[in-house]
Amino acid sequence: MIEAVNIRKRFRSETIIEDVSLSVRKGSVYGLLGSNGAGKTTLLRMLSGILKADEGSVRIDGGTVFENNQVKERIIFLQDDLYFFSQYTPKQMAAFYKETYPSWDESRYQGLKYILGLDENKKINKLSKGMKRQVAFWLSLSAKPDVMILDEPFDGLDAVVRKTIKSMMLQDVAEREMTVVISSHNLKEVEDICDYIGILHKGKILLERDIDDLKEEFHKVQVAFRRGIEPVTDALSLVHKERRGSVYIYILRGDKEQIEDHFLSQEPVVFDQLTLTLEEIFIYEMRRVGYAEEDII
Amino acid sequence: MLELDMRSGEPIYEQLVHQFKRLIIEGVMEVDEKLPSVRDLAGELTVNPNTIQKAYRELEAQGYIYSVKGRGSFVQQREEESSTIKVKEIKERIVPLLREAFYLGMTEEEAEEMIRKARGGSHHD
Repeated sequence: MIEAVNIRKRFRSETIIEDVSLSVRKGSVYGLLGSNGAGKTTLLRMLSGILKADEGSVRIDGGTVFENNQVKERIIFLQDDLYFFSQYTPKQMAAFYKETYPSWDESRYQGLKYILGLDENKKINKLSKGMKRQVAFWLSLSAKPDVMILDEPFDGLDAVVRKTIKSMMLQDVAEREMTVVISSHNLKEVEDICDYIGILHKGKILLERDIDDLKEEFHKVQVAFRRGIEPVTDALSLVHKERRGSVYIYILRGDKEQIEDHFLSQEPVVFDQLTLTLEEIFIYEMRRVGYAEEDII
Repeated sequence: MLELDMRSGEPIYEQLVHQFKRLIIEGVMEVDEKLPSVRDLAGELTVNPNTIQKAYRELEAQGYIYSVKGRGSFVQQREEESSTIKVKEIKERIVPLLREAFYLGMTEEEAEEMIRKARGGSHHD
Protein backbone atom coordinates (compact mmCIF):
# COMPACT_ATOMS: atom_id res chain seq x y z
CA MET A 1 0.00 0.00 0.00
CA ILE A 2 1.28 3.44 -0.95
CA GLU A 3 0.32 6.31 1.26
CA ALA A 4 1.13 9.95 0.69
CA VAL A 5 -0.05 12.37 3.33
CA ASN A 6 -0.19 16.10 2.76
CA ILE A 7 2.87 16.27 0.58
CA ARG A 8 4.14 19.49 -0.92
CA LYS A 9 6.96 20.26 -3.28
CA ARG A 10 8.35 23.59 -4.28
CA PHE A 11 11.16 24.40 -6.70
CA ARG A 12 12.51 27.87 -5.94
CA SER A 13 9.44 30.07 -5.75
CA GLU A 14 7.22 27.77 -7.80
CA THR A 15 4.89 25.35 -6.05
CA ILE A 16 4.65 22.17 -8.09
CA ILE A 17 2.75 19.96 -5.69
CA GLU A 18 0.38 21.62 -3.32
CA ASP A 19 -0.89 19.47 -0.51
CA VAL A 20 -1.54 16.09 -2.12
CA SER A 21 -2.76 13.08 -0.17
CA LEU A 22 -3.45 9.81 -1.83
CA SER A 23 -3.47 6.16 -1.01
CA VAL A 24 -3.17 3.22 -3.33
CA ARG A 25 -4.36 -0.16 -2.08
CA LYS A 26 -2.14 -3.19 -2.43
CA GLY A 27 -2.96 -4.95 -5.68
CA SER A 28 -4.64 -1.91 -7.16
CA VAL A 29 -3.85 -0.14 -10.42
CA TYR A 30 -4.10 3.59 -9.90
CA GLY A 31 -4.29 5.89 -12.91
CA LEU A 32 -2.91 9.35 -12.32
CA LEU A 33 -4.29 11.68 -14.94
CA GLY A 34 -3.46 15.26 -15.63
CA SER A 35 -2.55 17.64 -18.41
CA ASN A 36 1.03 18.57 -19.18
CA GLY A 37 2.55 20.51 -16.33
CA ALA A 38 0.02 19.29 -13.77
CA GLY A 39 2.81 17.92 -11.59
CA LYS A 40 2.47 14.21 -12.37
CA THR A 41 6.16 13.50 -12.80
CA THR A 42 7.10 15.37 -9.65
CA LEU A 43 4.46 13.52 -7.67
CA LEU A 44 5.63 10.15 -9.01
CA ARG A 45 9.23 11.00 -8.18
CA MET A 46 8.21 11.64 -4.60
CA LEU A 47 6.17 8.43 -4.45
CA SER A 48 9.18 6.47 -5.61
CA GLY A 49 11.58 8.17 -3.22
CA ILE A 50 13.74 10.00 -5.75
CA LEU A 51 12.63 13.38 -4.53
CA LYS A 52 11.99 14.30 -0.94
CA ALA A 53 8.75 16.06 -0.22
CA ASP A 54 9.20 19.50 1.39
CA GLU A 55 6.36 18.64 3.73
CA GLY A 56 4.30 15.57 4.43
CA SER A 57 5.23 11.90 4.17
CA VAL A 58 5.30 9.11 1.62
CA ARG A 59 5.17 5.56 2.93
CA ILE A 60 5.01 2.20 1.25
CA ASP A 61 3.68 -0.55 3.50
CA GLY A 62 4.43 1.69 6.46
CA GLY A 63 8.07 2.40 5.61
CA THR A 64 9.31 5.81 4.52
CA VAL A 65 10.44 5.69 0.91
CA PHE A 66 13.02 8.43 0.64
CA GLU A 67 16.58 7.12 1.13
CA ASN A 68 15.29 3.81 2.40
CA ASN A 69 16.87 0.98 0.43
CA GLN A 70 14.78 -1.73 1.98
CA VAL A 71 11.67 -0.14 0.55
CA LYS A 72 13.27 1.02 -2.68
CA GLU A 73 14.47 -2.42 -3.72
CA ARG A 74 10.82 -3.43 -3.91
CA ILE A 75 9.90 -0.54 -6.20
CA ILE A 76 10.44 -0.06 -9.89
CA PHE A 77 10.09 3.46 -11.20
CA LEU A 78 9.94 3.74 -14.94
CA GLN A 79 10.68 7.32 -15.82
CA ASP A 80 9.34 9.19 -18.76
CA ASP A 81 12.86 9.77 -20.06
CA LEU A 82 14.47 6.37 -19.67
CA TYR A 83 17.96 6.04 -18.39
CA PHE A 84 20.41 3.29 -19.28
CA PHE A 85 24.13 3.21 -18.68
CA SER A 86 25.80 4.21 -21.92
CA GLN A 87 27.36 1.36 -23.89
CA TYR A 88 25.35 -1.24 -21.95
CA THR A 89 23.46 -4.12 -23.52
CA PRO A 90 20.22 -5.52 -22.05
CA LYS A 91 22.24 -8.44 -20.74
CA GLN A 92 24.62 -6.14 -18.84
CA MET A 93 21.70 -4.09 -17.54
CA ALA A 94 20.06 -7.32 -16.40
CA ALA A 95 23.18 -8.19 -14.39
CA PHE A 96 22.95 -4.80 -12.71
CA TYR A 97 19.24 -5.25 -11.96
CA LYS A 98 19.93 -8.69 -10.53
CA GLU A 99 22.28 -7.12 -7.99
CA THR A 100 19.85 -4.35 -7.16
CA TYR A 101 16.63 -6.31 -6.91
CA PRO A 102 16.61 -9.41 -4.68
CA SER A 103 13.33 -10.49 -6.30
CA TRP A 104 14.93 -10.73 -9.78
CA ASP A 105 13.50 -13.64 -11.75
CA GLU A 106 15.98 -14.98 -14.28
CA SER A 107 13.58 -17.38 -15.94
CA ARG A 108 11.13 -14.59 -16.55
CA TYR A 109 13.91 -12.53 -18.09
CA GLN A 110 14.67 -15.37 -20.46
CA GLY A 111 11.00 -15.91 -21.23
CA LEU A 112 10.40 -12.25 -22.02
CA LYS A 113 13.41 -12.19 -24.29
CA TYR A 114 11.59 -14.74 -26.38
CA ILE A 115 8.18 -13.02 -26.18
CA LEU A 116 9.47 -9.54 -27.03
CA GLY A 117 11.96 -10.87 -29.53
CA LEU A 118 14.78 -8.55 -28.51
CA ASP A 119 18.51 -9.09 -28.82
CA GLU A 120 20.12 -9.04 -25.39
CA ASN A 121 23.59 -8.37 -26.79
CA LYS A 122 22.83 -5.26 -28.76
CA LYS A 123 23.76 -1.90 -27.24
CA ILE A 124 20.66 -0.25 -25.86
CA ASN A 125 21.74 3.15 -27.20
CA LYS A 126 21.49 1.79 -30.70
CA LEU A 127 17.86 0.76 -30.29
CA SER A 128 14.86 2.79 -31.37
CA LYS A 129 12.81 4.76 -28.85
CA GLY A 130 10.06 2.15 -28.74
CA MET A 131 12.53 -0.69 -28.36
CA LYS A 132 14.29 1.10 -25.50
CA ARG A 133 10.95 1.26 -23.80
CA GLN A 134 10.48 -2.44 -24.35
CA VAL A 135 13.87 -3.11 -22.79
CA ALA A 136 12.84 -1.01 -19.80
CA PHE A 137 9.70 -3.10 -19.36
CA TRP A 138 11.63 -6.28 -19.92
CA LEU A 139 13.97 -5.44 -17.06
CA SER A 140 11.22 -4.06 -14.83
CA LEU A 141 8.93 -7.05 -15.18
CA SER A 142 11.82 -9.42 -14.59
CA ALA A 143 12.65 -7.64 -11.33
CA LYS A 144 9.20 -8.65 -10.03
CA PRO A 145 8.73 -5.57 -7.89
CA ASP A 146 5.93 -5.21 -5.34
CA VAL A 147 5.29 -1.70 -6.56
CA MET A 148 5.56 -0.38 -10.08
CA ILE A 149 5.44 3.36 -10.67
CA LEU A 150 5.19 4.26 -14.33
CA ASP A 151 5.40 7.70 -15.88
CA GLU A 152 3.66 7.86 -19.27
CA PRO A 153 4.82 4.31 -19.93
CA PHE A 154 3.14 3.47 -23.21
CA ASP A 155 4.39 6.35 -25.34
CA GLY A 156 6.02 5.06 -28.46
CA LEU A 157 4.90 1.44 -28.12
CA ASP A 158 2.88 -0.20 -30.83
CA ALA A 159 -0.51 -1.74 -30.06
CA VAL A 160 0.71 -5.33 -29.95
CA VAL A 161 3.59 -4.70 -27.57
CA ARG A 162 1.39 -2.47 -25.46
CA LYS A 163 -1.11 -5.27 -25.05
CA THR A 164 1.61 -7.82 -24.21
CA ILE A 165 3.07 -5.57 -21.54
CA LYS A 166 -0.27 -4.60 -20.03
CA SER A 167 -1.19 -8.24 -19.95
CA MET A 168 2.00 -9.26 -18.12
CA MET A 169 1.58 -6.47 -15.62
CA LEU A 170 -2.00 -7.44 -14.91
CA GLN A 171 -1.03 -11.04 -14.35
CA ASP A 172 1.40 -9.86 -11.72
CA VAL A 173 -1.33 -7.77 -10.17
CA ALA A 174 -3.60 -10.82 -10.06
CA GLU A 175 -1.01 -13.27 -8.88
CA ARG A 176 1.22 -11.35 -6.50
CA GLU A 177 -0.93 -8.31 -5.75
CA MET A 178 1.59 -6.00 -7.31
CA THR A 179 0.59 -2.37 -6.82
CA VAL A 180 0.78 -0.08 -9.83
CA VAL A 181 0.65 3.67 -10.22
CA ILE A 182 0.53 4.79 -13.80
CA SER A 183 0.44 8.33 -15.09
CA SER A 184 -1.00 9.46 -18.37
CA HIS A 185 -2.41 12.53 -20.01
CA ASN A 186 -4.80 10.28 -21.85
CA LEU A 187 -7.63 8.54 -20.06
CA LYS A 188 -8.23 6.17 -22.97
CA GLU A 189 -4.74 4.79 -22.65
CA VAL A 190 -5.20 3.57 -19.11
CA GLU A 191 -8.92 3.19 -18.41
CA ASP A 192 -8.93 -0.51 -19.24
CA ILE A 193 -6.33 -1.51 -16.69
CA CYS A 194 -7.01 0.90 -13.83
CA ASP A 195 -9.50 0.33 -11.07
CA TYR A 196 -8.96 3.74 -9.55
CA ILE A 197 -8.39 7.12 -11.14
CA GLY A 198 -7.06 10.37 -9.68
CA ILE A 199 -6.94 13.65 -11.52
CA LEU A 200 -4.09 16.00 -10.77
CA HIS A 201 -4.42 19.60 -11.77
CA LYS A 202 -2.08 22.45 -10.90
CA GLY A 203 -0.49 20.47 -8.11
CA LYS A 204 -3.71 19.30 -6.50
CA ILE A 205 -5.77 16.14 -6.73
CA LEU A 206 -9.15 17.29 -7.93
CA LEU A 207 -10.92 14.00 -8.02
CA GLU A 208 -10.21 10.45 -6.93
CA ARG A 209 -12.67 7.69 -7.69
CA ASP A 210 -13.26 4.00 -8.22
CA ILE A 211 -13.98 3.57 -11.95
CA ASP A 212 -16.89 1.16 -11.53
CA ASP A 213 -18.53 3.37 -8.93
CA LEU A 214 -18.35 6.28 -11.33
CA LYS A 215 -19.85 4.35 -14.19
CA GLU A 216 -22.67 3.09 -12.02
CA GLU A 217 -23.45 6.50 -10.68
CA PHE A 218 -23.97 8.38 -13.92
CA HIS A 219 -26.58 7.77 -16.58
CA LYS A 220 -27.53 9.39 -19.83
CA VAL A 221 -31.05 9.08 -21.14
CA GLN A 222 -33.14 10.61 -23.87
CA VAL A 223 -36.83 11.13 -23.32
CA ALA A 224 -39.64 12.60 -25.35
CA PHE A 225 -43.33 13.06 -24.74
CA ARG A 226 -46.20 13.65 -27.06
CA ARG A 227 -46.56 17.31 -28.02
CA GLY A 228 -43.10 18.03 -26.72
CA ILE A 229 -44.09 18.28 -23.08
CA GLU A 230 -41.11 18.57 -20.80
CA PRO A 231 -40.67 15.59 -18.47
CA VAL A 232 -40.91 16.03 -14.73
CA THR A 233 -37.49 15.56 -13.19
CA ASP A 234 -37.97 17.03 -9.73
CA ALA A 235 -37.12 13.86 -7.83
CA LEU A 236 -33.92 13.21 -9.79
CA SER A 237 -30.40 14.48 -9.42
CA LEU A 238 -29.72 16.28 -12.68
CA VAL A 239 -26.20 16.87 -13.83
CA HIS A 240 -26.90 18.15 -17.27
CA LYS A 241 -29.92 18.84 -19.46
CA GLU A 242 -30.14 19.39 -23.16
CA ARG A 243 -33.02 19.79 -25.55
CA ARG A 244 -32.97 18.73 -29.17
CA GLY A 245 -36.31 19.47 -30.73
CA SER A 246 -38.85 17.66 -28.62
CA VAL A 247 -36.30 15.21 -27.26
CA TYR A 248 -34.75 15.87 -23.89
CA ILE A 249 -31.34 14.50 -23.05
CA TYR A 250 -30.40 14.17 -19.42
CA ILE A 251 -27.31 13.23 -17.55
CA LEU A 252 -28.26 12.04 -14.11
CA ARG A 253 -26.72 10.66 -10.99
CA GLY A 254 -28.34 7.86 -9.13
CA ASP A 255 -29.74 4.39 -9.39
CA LYS A 256 -30.33 3.18 -12.94
CA GLU A 257 -33.61 1.41 -12.26
CA GLN A 258 -34.99 4.26 -10.25
CA ILE A 259 -34.31 6.64 -13.11
CA GLU A 260 -35.87 4.23 -15.56
CA ASP A 261 -39.00 3.83 -13.41
CA HIS A 262 -39.25 7.54 -12.95
CA PHE A 263 -39.42 8.27 -16.66
CA LEU A 264 -41.40 5.21 -17.72
CA SER A 265 -44.15 5.98 -15.22
CA GLN A 266 -44.75 9.22 -17.12
CA GLU A 267 -45.36 7.19 -20.28
CA PRO A 268 -42.90 8.73 -22.69
CA VAL A 269 -43.00 8.27 -26.44
CA VAL A 270 -39.26 7.83 -26.53
CA PHE A 271 -37.07 6.56 -23.74
CA ASP A 272 -33.54 5.35 -24.34
CA GLN A 273 -30.51 4.78 -22.19
CA LEU A 274 -27.52 6.24 -23.99
CA THR A 275 -23.94 5.28 -23.43
CA LEU A 276 -21.83 7.57 -21.36
CA THR A 277 -18.10 7.26 -21.72
CA LEU A 278 -15.78 7.54 -18.79
CA GLU A 279 -14.38 10.64 -20.39
CA GLU A 280 -17.76 12.35 -20.41
CA ILE A 281 -18.33 11.37 -16.79
CA PHE A 282 -15.05 12.93 -15.78
CA ILE A 283 -15.83 16.11 -17.62
CA TYR A 284 -19.13 16.45 -15.78
CA GLU A 285 -17.53 15.60 -12.47
CA MET A 286 -14.87 18.22 -13.08
CA ARG A 287 -17.54 20.79 -13.83
CA ARG A 288 -19.32 19.85 -10.66
CA VAL A 289 -16.23 20.52 -8.57
CA GLY A 290 -15.86 23.82 -10.33
CA TYR A 291 -13.54 23.20 -13.26
CA ALA A 292 -14.80 24.05 -16.66
CA GLU A 293 -11.70 23.19 -18.63
CA GLU A 294 -12.42 20.14 -20.67
CA ASP A 295 -8.84 19.60 -21.65
CA ILE A 296 -7.78 18.56 -18.18
CA ILE A 297 -8.16 14.90 -19.02
CA MET B 1 -15.60 -15.81 -26.31
CA LEU B 2 -15.84 -12.58 -24.34
CA GLU B 3 -16.09 -9.20 -25.96
CA LEU B 4 -15.72 -6.08 -23.85
CA ASP B 5 -16.65 -2.58 -24.88
CA MET B 6 -14.34 -0.15 -23.13
CA ARG B 7 -16.28 2.82 -24.46
CA SER B 8 -19.55 1.61 -23.02
CA GLY B 9 -21.09 3.26 -20.03
CA GLU B 10 -21.72 -0.13 -18.52
CA PRO B 11 -19.04 -1.00 -15.97
CA ILE B 12 -16.63 -3.66 -17.22
CA TYR B 13 -17.50 -6.05 -14.41
CA GLU B 14 -21.19 -5.86 -15.34
CA GLN B 15 -20.35 -6.59 -18.95
CA LEU B 16 -18.46 -9.64 -17.76
CA VAL B 17 -21.35 -10.75 -15.55
CA HIS B 18 -23.81 -10.45 -18.44
CA GLN B 19 -21.63 -12.28 -20.89
CA PHE B 20 -20.84 -15.15 -18.56
CA LYS B 21 -24.53 -15.42 -17.70
CA ARG B 22 -25.40 -15.67 -21.34
CA LEU B 23 -22.75 -18.34 -21.92
CA ILE B 24 -24.09 -20.28 -18.96
CA ILE B 25 -27.77 -19.85 -19.78
CA GLU B 26 -27.28 -20.83 -23.40
CA GLY B 27 -25.32 -23.84 -22.35
CA VAL B 28 -22.10 -22.81 -24.09
CA MET B 29 -20.48 -23.26 -20.72
CA GLU B 30 -21.53 -26.47 -19.11
CA VAL B 31 -22.22 -27.32 -15.50
CA ASP B 32 -19.02 -27.83 -13.51
CA GLU B 33 -16.96 -26.34 -16.32
CA LYS B 34 -14.10 -24.27 -14.97
CA LEU B 35 -14.07 -20.53 -15.62
CA PRO B 36 -10.77 -18.98 -16.68
CA SER B 37 -8.60 -18.00 -13.73
CA VAL B 38 -8.62 -14.34 -12.74
CA ARG B 39 -4.97 -14.13 -13.70
CA ASP B 40 -5.43 -15.59 -17.16
CA LEU B 41 -8.51 -13.58 -17.94
CA ALA B 42 -6.90 -10.34 -16.75
CA GLY B 43 -3.97 -11.03 -19.01
CA GLU B 44 -6.07 -12.04 -21.95
CA LEU B 45 -8.54 -9.17 -21.83
CA THR B 46 -6.05 -6.68 -20.36
CA VAL B 47 -8.54 -5.80 -17.69
CA ASN B 48 -7.83 -5.12 -14.06
CA PRO B 49 -7.93 -8.37 -12.02
CA ASN B 50 -9.97 -6.70 -9.30
CA THR B 51 -12.65 -6.08 -11.90
CA ILE B 52 -12.71 -9.75 -12.83
CA GLN B 53 -12.81 -10.80 -9.21
CA LYS B 54 -15.76 -8.48 -8.71
CA ALA B 55 -17.58 -10.07 -11.65
CA TYR B 56 -16.93 -13.57 -10.28
CA ARG B 57 -18.17 -12.56 -6.83
CA GLU B 58 -21.33 -11.19 -8.42
CA LEU B 59 -21.89 -14.35 -10.48
CA GLU B 60 -21.41 -16.41 -7.36
CA ALA B 61 -23.85 -14.26 -5.39
CA GLN B 62 -26.42 -14.72 -8.14
CA GLY B 63 -25.89 -18.46 -8.10
CA TYR B 64 -24.38 -18.90 -11.53
CA ILE B 65 -21.03 -20.16 -10.39
CA TYR B 66 -19.42 -21.68 -7.32
CA SER B 67 -15.84 -21.47 -6.22
CA VAL B 68 -13.58 -24.07 -4.75
CA LYS B 69 -10.77 -22.69 -2.68
CA GLY B 70 -7.46 -23.02 -4.45
CA ARG B 71 -9.02 -24.51 -7.56
CA GLY B 72 -11.06 -21.76 -9.12
CA SER B 73 -14.63 -21.02 -10.14
CA PHE B 74 -17.05 -23.42 -11.80
CA VAL B 75 -20.45 -23.26 -13.46
CA GLN B 76 -23.29 -23.98 -11.06
CA GLN B 77 -26.13 -26.35 -11.80
CA ARG B 78 -29.36 -24.42 -12.31
CA GLU B 79 -32.30 -25.12 -14.52
CA GLU B 80 -35.60 -23.53 -13.64
CA GLU B 81 -34.35 -20.11 -12.78
CA SER B 82 -32.34 -19.71 -15.93
CA SER B 83 -35.49 -19.89 -18.01
CA THR B 84 -37.24 -17.25 -15.89
CA ILE B 85 -34.27 -15.01 -16.49
CA LYS B 86 -34.44 -15.62 -20.17
CA VAL B 87 -38.14 -14.76 -20.12
CA LYS B 88 -37.27 -11.52 -18.38
CA GLU B 89 -34.71 -10.72 -21.05
CA ILE B 90 -37.19 -11.41 -23.82
CA LYS B 91 -39.75 -9.19 -22.12
CA GLU B 92 -37.21 -6.43 -22.10
CA ARG B 93 -36.84 -6.79 -25.83
CA ILE B 94 -40.56 -7.03 -26.61
CA VAL B 95 -41.80 -4.10 -24.59
CA PRO B 96 -39.99 -1.39 -26.58
CA LEU B 97 -41.15 -2.97 -29.85
CA LEU B 98 -44.73 -3.09 -28.66
CA ARG B 99 -44.50 0.49 -27.52
CA GLU B 100 -43.37 1.47 -30.97
CA ALA B 101 -46.12 -0.55 -32.61
CA PHE B 102 -48.80 1.02 -30.41
CA TYR B 103 -47.41 4.42 -31.19
CA LEU B 104 -47.71 3.70 -34.88
CA GLY B 105 -51.32 2.75 -34.41
CA MET B 106 -51.50 -0.95 -33.70
CA THR B 107 -54.55 -1.88 -31.63
CA GLU B 108 -54.63 -4.19 -28.64
CA GLU B 109 -56.83 -6.57 -30.61
CA GLU B 110 -54.13 -6.85 -33.23
CA ALA B 111 -51.58 -7.52 -30.52
CA GLU B 112 -53.75 -10.28 -29.09
CA GLU B 113 -54.16 -11.70 -32.55
CA MET B 114 -50.36 -11.82 -32.83
CA ILE B 115 -50.08 -13.62 -29.53
CA ARG B 116 -52.61 -16.21 -30.68
CA LYS B 117 -50.69 -16.68 -33.90
CA ALA B 118 -47.43 -17.03 -32.05
CA ARG B 119 -48.95 -19.71 -29.85
CA GLY B 120 -49.93 -21.56 -33.00
CA GLY B 121 -53.39 -22.43 -31.72
CA SER B 122 -56.83 -21.14 -32.66
CA HIS B 123 -57.82 -20.15 -29.16
CA HIS B 124 -60.96 -17.98 -28.84
CA ASP B 125 -62.49 -16.42 -25.78
